[in-house]
Amino acid sequence: MRSKHVMVDLKGQARSFFRVKSNLFWVFAFPLLLIIIFGAIFSNMGSESVTLNVQNLDEGPGSQQLLVALNETGMVKLKFISPTTDLDQHIKDNSLAHVLVIPANYSSNLASNVTAPVELRLDETVSTSGTVFNAVNGVVNAFNLQMAGGEESIVITTGSIVQKRFTFLDFFVPGIIGLTIMTTCVFNVQGTISRFRTNGIFRKLATTPMTPFEWLLSRILWHLFISFLTLAVIMGFGVLIFGMNMSVNLPVVLMIVAGSAMFSALGMIVARFVKNEETASMAANAITFPMMFLSGTFFQLEMMPSYLQQVAAVLPLTYMSQGLRDAMVYDNLAGAYFNLAVVAVIGVIFVILAVLITKWEEE
Amino acid sequence: MIEVRDLVKRYDDLVAVSGIDLDVNAGEVYSILGPNGAGKTTSVEIMECLRKKTSGEVRILGHDIEKGQREIRKRIGVLPQSFNAFDYLTVKENIEYFGGLFDKRIPTEELIEAVQLQDKRDTWFLNLSGGLKQRVGVAIAMVNDPDLVFLDEPTTGLDPKARREVWEVIRKLKSQNKTVILTTHYMEEAEVLSDHVAIMNEGKFIALGTPRQIIDRHGSGSTCVVKGANAAAAEAVRSAGMIFEASNGDLMVRMENKGSLPKLISLLSTSEVTYDEVLIKGSTLEDVFLKLTGKKLAEVEQ
Repeated sequence: MRSKHVMVDLKGQARSFFRVKSNLFWVFAFPLLLIIIFGAIFSNMGSESVTLNVQNLDEGPGSQQLLVALNETGMVKLKFISPTTDLDQHIKDNSLAHVLVIPANYSSNLASNVTAPVELRLDETVSTSGTVFNAVNGVVNAFNLQMAGGEESIVITTGSIVQKRFTFLDFFVPGIIGLTIMTTCVFNVQGTISRFRTNGIFRKLATTPMTPFEWLLSRILWHLFISFLTLAVIMGFGVLIFGMNMSVNLPVVLMIVAGSAMFSALGMIVARFVKNEETASMAANAITFPMMFLSGTFFQLEMMPSYLQQVAAVLPLTYMSQGLRDAMVYDNLAGAYFNLAVVAVIGVIFVILAVLITKWEEE
Repeated sequence: MIEVRDLVKRYDDLVAVSGIDLDVNAGEVYSILGPNGAGKTTSVEIMECLRKKTSGEVRILGHDIEKGQREIRKRIGVLPQSFNAFDYLTVKENIEYFGGLFDKRIPTEELIEAVQLQDKRDTWFLNLSGGLKQRVGVAIAMVNDPDLVFLDEPTTGLDPKARREVWEVIRKLKSQNKTVILTTHYMEEAEVLSDHVAIMNEGKFIALGTPRQIIDRHGSGSTCVVKGANAAAAEAVRSAGMIFEASNGDLMVRMENKGSLPKLISLLSTSEVTYDEVLIKGSTLEDVFLKLTGKKLAEVEQ
């Protein structure tokens, strides 16, 4: 192993990678497009009205005005829960996703100029939550403006029906990071190997002192860099445009390393077993496509029928995306490390296999 | 530089190379000439350590082909068949890439100058014409200042002008005292460039030597072509007992000895004989190939 040879190939890749326009698209534009499109689809499903369950404990005129205003937005359909009902039990029994609670002293608080809270409980994993929040928030803001010139007389305290306040994007964006790393690594590595074998670059490299192992190592290292670039681009977009709250910690870094190496090696394996350039590209598609849709990138696994969930359980991207989500958004370190371990084991196996089967010579 | 003894390469039931011997001396251009599928590329790829031999002995620069691979790779330069470099690197960056893989290297600018690509230095390889790509390939083959250079069909698919430009580059290699192994299916190329030629067909060498020696040994001597000859001309040549072939009104008369030409001229000067023009043609490697195999080089290509 000569690190000089690895550096030479890394430098070559650094110079040429972004001269290929399609690489720019797949690394930068593609993930952003997905986020924008799916973000728009799933966070604005509110063109139809959404049911908002209301438990009104207040008997004064203030709450009636608020409810009339909410009704007039047309964004939500109000459904009333009796003030005597045990709310927590009712939510559980009826799987309610959006509940507004107006406390008993609401009107009197308003009348005496004391801050009047209303409580909005949302299941943020349900895509219509954003609509409900926007509707209530809009009405409350209008009231505040009208009554006190913008001073906050009414405040919304949000409560979550699930443990924490997560939006669809919180769920979606880490998955897009995993998905983009998968497609970039698998397609680039497979494409490069198939092309270099067809156009004779491998034959030329075989006449130099560089070994196939040095070449593979350089390709894995380069895609590691591209994967971190992907992470930075998508995170930056999520944080700056959508104001998301995501953290990068040790399990995230390790997951990117393991996942990137795993998918680069997968690209190598595909290219080695399928010799024809076009067939190899189809094979790469056949492997990545199911992962794209079944690994819980766009839809939560729980939404899928159980047989599909079993399929998802054997797909490596499932663990990478879930691990990234656990580490970046859910603060679930135990989950993050479990998923990391799965990806690391698959990654090591793939890399060893790739190194064993890759050689310059055809015969 | 190269010693090959009884080299055989078999793929399953196909014999690509069936027992060739080859000796190449330092500083010469040695061409292996033959149609596609003759086994030229397989033979040189074994010498370049790209393929494994089935049997026989191959020594390159004094090293055994199997034991000395590392040492051989450092000291040879290769332009593989249908060569490509990295599409999205410039000429200069491509040469730097391959140069970086060797410890001993020639400065990039010097190589660019040697193949006359100064004004294409910063052009992506992708955007070069076929002839220019091959010149980049020769520059890359030279990057480690090799003692021995293999050029595998460097002019296949090029137009005549580009082909001649590549020839110039090969001549320059020779003037630098490099040993060059050239494979080609253009007999003209072998004849013009080489010190020694091996003609290969169906995995065997069917003729070896300098182009002159091969033509003298296997060629049919000079031929005098009488164009637009009339029937009286053909009759005169026949009755004089000269060996000839007639086609499309042309007579191809074999020049068997010194007296053949004056004899033919005197036959043509009788009053009833008419013709358009007379020219004398030497035998070529193409004729030798035709004679030895009964096929034309170009026909076998199809």
